[in-house]
Amino acid sequence: MSVDPFRTLGIDPRFDLDLEALDTRHRDLSAALHPDRYTTKPANERRMALDRAINVNTAWRQLRDPVQRAERLLEHHGIAISETTAPKASPTLLMEMMEVREELSEAKQARDLDRIGKLGQSMSAKEAEVLEALRLGFVSAAGDVNTLRTLLPTLGELRYLKRFFEEVEAIEEQLLD
Amino acid sequence: MAYSNKVIDHYENPRNVGSLDKDDPTVGTGLVGAPACGDVMRLQIKVSDDGVIEDAKFKTFGCGSAIASSSLATEWIKGKTIDQADEIRNTEIVEELNLPPVKVHCSVLAEDAIKSAIADFRAKQEASRALTGE
Repeated sequence: MSVDPFRTLGIDPRFDLDLEALDTRHRDLSAALHPDRYTTKPANERRMALDRAINVNTAWRQLRDPVQRAERLLEHHGIAISETTAPKASPTLLMEMMEVREELSEAKQARDLDRIGKLGQSMSAKEAEVLEALRLGFVSAAGDVNTLRTLLPTLGELRYLKRFFEEVEAIEEQLLD
Repeated sequence: MAYSNKVIDHYENPRNVGSLDKDDPTVGTGLVGAPACGDVMRLQIKVSDDGVIEDAKFKTFGCGSAIASSSLATEWIKGKTIDQADEIRNTEIVEELNLPPVKVHCSVLAEDAIKSAIADFRAKQEASRALTGE
């Protein structure tokens, strides 16, 4: 299990974080831990501040990403997250992801940025639905471990979408080069 | 990430990429995903009357190891009977491709894909037998 990023940043463990407040918290902590403030301090204090600054950065990046935020939140409630605990995706989801990845790969070959953009948009709408389902799920689970476990398939769906968007980004970067 | 030469070879020259008609009663389709990373893999087999896999195709959206694992899988199962193909273990793929521990799940995915294609083919055969009342 990894370090609890909610604890590292000293914020309430929840899925629907106020992202602006999260950024502010990250900025304030980073400023307070900046090496410039430690130039006259003993070496061990300098090192500790640096370690802490690294942890703060890692925690912030994790919480910024909805997939990792959900994972860390589940871990916070004692649910182990690993390759083997992730439930298998439904055939419908797999079929849908296969189709959309094939379409993306065709659009890439045709260098059709317009089509790629449209595909991205339709999947963004889907992502918004999944995020909302997760948000509601976390709220209504209210920390109950068994209810939280039922969110694992939805989290899985979000991972497939994340992979899709990573691919879209990579293709767009490549085509716009 | 350092890939082994065999992985790179399969990645750069993947064997048997493509698709078979999923509605063909002699074709079995396996569709699997890696829930931890979001990779998807489709593996299809075309089976002759005497239960030999005469053709195999795959399409994988994933990392180099996932592509190599499924490419190797199609190479191995071609010419085998479905019972023989059913016995292929992911550990054999790991060994052949020298996959590092973090990529073992790619070989698991390939084994699942073979099994799921065979299961789909068998289910189709059952269904058509039931239909013809044999």
